[in-house]
Amino acid sequence: MTLLLDIVTTAAVLFIVSAGLLAIFGVLKIVNFAHGAWLTVGAYCAVVVGGLGLNPWLALPVAFAAGAVLGGVTERLIVRPLYARPLDAILATWGLGIVIGQLVTLWFGRDVQFTESLLPGTIHVLGTSYSLYRIFALGAAVVIGLGFAFLLEGTRLGLSARAIIMNEALARALGLDTARIRLVTFMIGTGLTALAGVLLTPLTSVDPTMGVAWLIGSFMLVMVAGSSFGALAVACLLFGGAQVLVSTFISPILGGITVAVLCALVLRISSKGFARV
Amino acid sequence: MKMPTLFATVASVMLAGSAFAADSDPIRIGVPVGLSGANSVVAPSVVQSAELAVEEINAAGGVLGRPLELVIADDASGAAGAQKAFDSLVFQKEVDVLISMETSAARNAGLPIVSRGKVPYIYTSFYEGRSCNPFLYVNAWVPEQQVPPIVDYLKGQGASKYFLIGSDYAFGRGMLEFARSYVESTGGEVVGEEYLPMDGSDWTAIISKLKASGAEALITSTAGGAPNVTLTKQLRGAGVDLPYANLAVDEGTAKSMGADAAGILISASYVTGIDSAENKAFLDAMAAKFGDELRTPNDLSVPEYEAVYLYKAAVEKAGSTDAKPVLDALDEVSFTGPRGTIQMSKQHHAPLTMYLGQVQEDGSVVVVESFKDVDPGEQCPNL
Repeated sequence: MTLLLDIVTTAAVLFIVSAGLLAIFGVLKIVNFAHGAWLTVGAYCAVVVGGLGLNPWLALPVAFAAGAVLGGVTERLIVRPLYARPLDAILATWGLGIVIGQLVTLWFGRDVQFTESLLPGTIHVLGTSYSLYRIFALGAAVVIGLGFAFLLEGTRLGLSARAIIMNEALARALGLDTARIRLVTFMIGTGLTALAGVLLTPLTSVDPTMGVAWLIGSFMLVMVAGSSFGALAVACLLFGGAQVLVSTFISPILGGITVAVLCALVLRISSKGFARV
Repeated sequence: MKMPTLFATVASVMLAGSAFAADSDPIRIGVPVGLSGANSVVAPSVVQSAELAVEEINAAGGVLGRPLELVIADDASGAAGAQKAFDSLVFQKEVDVLISMETSAARNAGLPIVSRGKVPYIYTSFYEGRSCNPFLYVNAWVPEQQVPPIVDYLKGQGASKYFLIGSDYAFGRGMLEFARSYVESTGGEVVGEEYLPMDGSDWTAIISKLKASGAEALITSTAGGAPNVTLTKQLRGAGVDLPYANLAVDEGTAKSMGADAAGILISASYVTGIDSAENKAFLDAMAAKFGDELRTPNDLSVPEYEAVYLYKAAVEKAGSTDAKPVLDALDEVSFTGPRGTIQMSKQHHAPLTMYLGQVQEDGSVVVVESFKDVDPGEQCPNL
């Protein structure tokens, strides 16, 4: 039973961490390698909110706002000229990630920072006591997934975004302000990533390099998922599940590379990954 | 370079090695330390310790009438940086002694340079043990000194089944390997032993195994800092409340974990809560000298302070800074400092009083029990 909970909650955490990257990759076809840095920025928002003595939950909206605003600036100054050059964009965002990491170090120092636990304690589910926060993370992942589904399927912005995904030239010819939609999408993506950073704080240490550990995993998952949130959910469940199974029954050291290895295998067999799901 | 400095340098180079080595020239202490890289969190506290010791000794008239001078070099916490740092300190700056806390990789890379340059080297970091070199002295703990107090205490609390969790690297595995053999030699049983890579951040599966294992006590040895905090947060989140001994946590890290750290047992040769006049005087002097800039003194920085005094005592006993007599004197002298009386008399290692501390809700560490003069065992039988 614990194993099942481990699998779904691990998948949930992977989904939360990757969602912002997918939002940007799916619509903009840009791989934001500063993703890890945005997670870090979000987590430090939790540190700042805690340091001001405010309610730790307040860190969620604060991080979303901070991530979105910084993302907006980044899109305008760095990413916008590079939409036609996705490889250069990878390099630019990678560099940006290093710069952000160093700025965080300068500001807060290298030390591990203290953050208040959002939901301490355990809860009895399915006959075992389990971390309350991980159950909450499962709920948060579902909310983020449904929120995105609604945003894409149920709003004007989503309609425009889907139009851009399908045929950008045509969308622009039809009078859509593609530059604005790109800006908003990028801001939502980075805001969401910063929010994910806050959600990570009860699970990991908060330090200037904390985002790096999550970057490769979420990158691989997004490559497999393409531009579909449904596919991302499936990928997280399958590969997160595999990671838990390998860690439990073989070795946690091999478990750590399971996601990357399986994603590479899937992409080798089918270059579109799960994008058709 | 200004002319007078140039002359002074030339003069000191010309005089170096001669019997007339100027009576008032400073004695130079090289401090290769990881100002960048993995040790960069702790390195500033090590430098502060050295600075206080040098200031105190110089204020009291120096050593053999000569002032001490620190020469600090960044070893980047690794082997490649250490080679440069040692090379520059030994052959260009021509320091009289090296005193420093470093990673094992940096120490191993520096030792051949120390042997070639024939300079005494006092290593002030706890480590996995058995590093032997005629020029090397160690005044910090080895596994033989750190692990037994913890296991003995847990056994006294009624634990016989242990679960071991570590980061997958030399120090993590080395500590737990020793812990396993000690547990088994005292009649206990290890019901699980699991590792995650150093940059791993998901301990979920390991924690589920721990909960299912029926263990009565947990001993962890992760890499310092981030992995330690991550593991502890996830343990607490999963509701693990077994007696929990952490071989790799320091007071500063414990503070950053807040309530999650409460109850953790640590074993160290130094905690700030040691109740002695020397420790109180040391802490007051540190606070007065560094004020807001003070980095909390810890098990890696206090040995640095004491090692400077041990070197002073050895030079005074030898009557010179020449390597051979100083090395001969180093295991005969002792110094009573914040950690008690230290003498590196056992195969270039030091018997140490070990403190078993428990982290409190506010992050402070209270000494539960102390173990006097724990022997380092057979470290270097051939020295």
